Amino acid sequence: MKILLAEDDFASRKFMDKMLSQYGECDVMVDGEEAVDAFMMALEDEEPYDLACLDVMMPVMDGYQVLKAIRDIEAQRGIPKNKRLKVIMTTALNEERNVKMAFELGCEAYAGKPIDVEKFEKVLEKLGLL
Amino acid sequence: MAEEFNTESMLSVFLYESDQLLEKLEGIILEKQDADCFDDSDINDIFRVMHTIKGSSGVMMYENITKASHKLEDIFYYLRESHPEDVPHMELVEKVLAVSDFITSELDKIKNGETPDGDESKLVEDLDEFLSRIKGEIKKQGIRLPKENKQVEPNQFYIMPVAEENSHFYRIVIHYKNDTQMSNIRAYSATYALKGVAEDLLYTPEDILSNEASADTILVEGFHMYLQTKASKEEVLKLIDSSEAESIDFDEITAAEYGQDLVHLGRPDVPIVINLDDNAQPAKETKAAPMPGDYVVKTKEAGKGKTLAKNQPKQQSIISVNVEKMDSLMDLIGELVIAEAVVLQNPDLKVPGLELTNFQKASAQLSKITTELQEVIMSMRMMPLSNTFQKMRRIVFDVSRKLGKDIELEVVGENTEVDKNIIEHISDPLMHLVRNSVDHGIEENAEQRTAAGKPAKGKITLEAKNEGGKVYISVRDDGKGLDKEKLYQKALDNGLIENKPISEFQDKEIYRFITLPGFSTKEVVTEYSGRGVGMDVVVKNIQDIGGRLDITSELGHGSEMTLVIPLTLAIINGIIVRVGDSPFVIETASIKQFVRLGEDALIQEPNGEEYVVLRGDCFPFIRLNEKYELPNSQTSIDDGIVVVLEHEGRQVCVLIDSLLQEQEIVVKPIPPYVKKVKGISGCTQLGDGSIALILDIGGLILDEERR
Repeated sequence: MKILLAEDDFASRKFMDKMLSQYGECDVMVDGEEAVDAFMMALEDEEPYDLACLDVMMPVMDGYQVLKAIRDIEAQRGIPKNKRLKVIMTTALNEERNVKMAFELGCEAYAGKPIDVEKFEKVLEKLGLL
Repeated sequence: MAEEFNTESMLSVFLYESDQLLEKLEGIILEKQDADCFDDSDINDIFRVMHTIKGSSGVMMYENITKASHKLEDIFYYLRESHPEDVPHMELVEKVLAVSDFITSELDKIKNGETPDGDESKLVEDLDEFLSRIKGEIKKQGIRLPKENKQVEPNQFYIMPVAEENSHFYRIVIHYKNDTQMSNIRAYSATYALKGVAEDLLYTPEDILSNEASADTILVEGFHMYLQTKASKEEVLKLIDSSEAESIDFDEITAAEYGQDLVHLGRPDVPIVINLDDNAQPAKETKAAPMPGDYVVKTKEAGKGKTLAKNQPKQQSIISVNVEKMDSLMDLIGELVIAEAVVLQNPDLKVPGLELTNFQKASAQLSKITTELQEVIMSMRMMPLSNTFQKMRRIVFDVSRKLGKDIELEVVGENTEVDKNIIEHISDPLMHLVRNSVDHGIEENAEQRTAAGKPAKGKITLEAKNEGGKVYISVRDDGKGLDKEKLYQKALDNGLIENKPISEFQDKEIYRFITLPGFSTKEVVTEYSGRGVGMDVVVKNIQDIGGRLDITSELGHGSEMTLVIPLTLAIINGIIVRVGDSPFVIETASIKQFVRLGEDALIQEPNGEEYVVLRGDCFPFIRLNEKYELPNSQTSIDDGIVVVLEHEGRQVCVLIDSLLQEQEIVVKPIPPYVKKVKGISGCTQLGDGSIALILDIGGLILDEERR
């Protein structure tokens, strides 16, 4: 499985990288723009990612913008819904309005930090990634 | 902590919405419990409630809730699509309540920071069995089964952050042995040891290191700590050095209590939420939804923290207000009332021959505004009793079914509003009274009722009303009533009362026996009541908030328990009297009458106790001037005025010099540097600036009886 991780905070990045690496190859980005670039590049190479974990608060572009950009690109290219990139937002913002918005923008899951590893894995299962 | 209140976290929204839905569900069920079946709109409503709960619990990943609600949704799906007849209504009601109970208990676990690990399989099995019976019935009735209710798996998930909600809150009181040296240093080491695990730690006395005298305080009052931590009780206890401790009181408390305790400790950083909207509907927060781009982190400057591109504008119809601010507003309004009295009763105005017409007009206007202001601040803390009463419906339903009694509950005046603090205090006592009525009040079976010429269906009336600054909440049943003889005999047998013949007790006194600790007239203890604990606790809880419990009853016709609670504790209506040179305030509600009596009404016991006889009744007599050693006062009963005071059915007479006036009194606590005086509950400032002491009638009577 190919995983895209966008996270600007070093400690979180280290933790997430370690956790995600058990499931597959993990590319680590430090800001939102890089994440979109990486997503595009993988599409161009026809080796798209299976999972993206996006932090919300990031430099240049925030997680919501990245998510929106990804969904827009997918729509433009006519990628069917079931083939879309699975996106999990990973953030310390846990207000309902934040979660709701992320859902509206089309993420598959929203994980509050600190991340509950057990549940995270369960979600991966439900998303058919494991 | 403030964060948690200001922001609506995903979890709290889920809990709030689910609670609301379940409440609605119970409302429908209990309303229709006696009907033959649910009508279409009910079925639709219940279906939708379950559907929503299923969906949201799916997103929140609480699988057991999802499964249970899904099964119930299924049942109502078939009811909705096929309209089968002869559905066992009562059984269905029970099933719905079982599911609602299950979900409620799981939600409670979540609220307490535990994992909702309840096993739903038994419940689901039950529901499955019920469902297949319904399906069979549908087929038998020749209706085609609708298509299977398609189960749509949620495709979006919310993974809750770990450990955020798992903090425990403890109240710890260490009592050191009396001869402990330097207990303040020991207390300090306890706090130091706890700092490692504490997320928040508060203690009193605070100045344990800087003030050596605190050692004495600790020895007398114990060392109080409030601790927020993730550590368990055992871990915390291990950290505290208990070698010199005589005992350690250790309580786990809820976050809310913790917040309250902090306020009491004088650190009110926990806001309470006030609904400024008059509509009882808790308005939804209208904070602007975040937009993509709101959370772009600006480039970091070296050594500086991150900042967000944009701060959220806040527009909302509910605001949270710091408790401290509310209290100080309350205090200020109190001061305003006093200041008003100082102006309107200013001695300068008493100069003869002043033309005061315009002044009087202006002052009437001022009085009107201050009164309104008082009402507004009170209303900010008011909540209707409807939620509390809703719970009672459920209790009547549950208990009456378990006991096999047919009982109808009538609710009157559920929109009566009471101070939020008071609501919290009366919920448990009220629940107890309602249970008692169902269990003890109403006859065992319908035959007994019809034999007594009453309708077979028992009736309990729950009534709330607001009268004269007090709230009356009564629980009335049309059952068998209290048997005075039995109560008397029981109290006597249990050694709870003096050995006096029954004729020497008033009815009221006899009824009050049931509130004595260790009293229970029911020979058989049931699951719900009859253990003899409870009524005394009820009375104690009510007294704690300055209320009382009145009991009236008619044998064979039912009984009525009435809680009388003050609307508010801060401003009372009082009469100012003078003894010697000192003004005193007596709460108007507790004054029975003023009389002038002669020496002949006075009885003196050899031990110095005095009584007065008034229309054949004998009352204890207190001379305030002697009790508080006040000079220059009337010593003869002929020259003074006797005031008859009543508190909880007990009466006492006091001698005063003269009456001054009646007015609104702002109750202020007696400052801590004054030693606690028996019979005085507070003080207030009068119009001329002097300080008047407020008589505590209950304390006065208690003190008199003890002597």
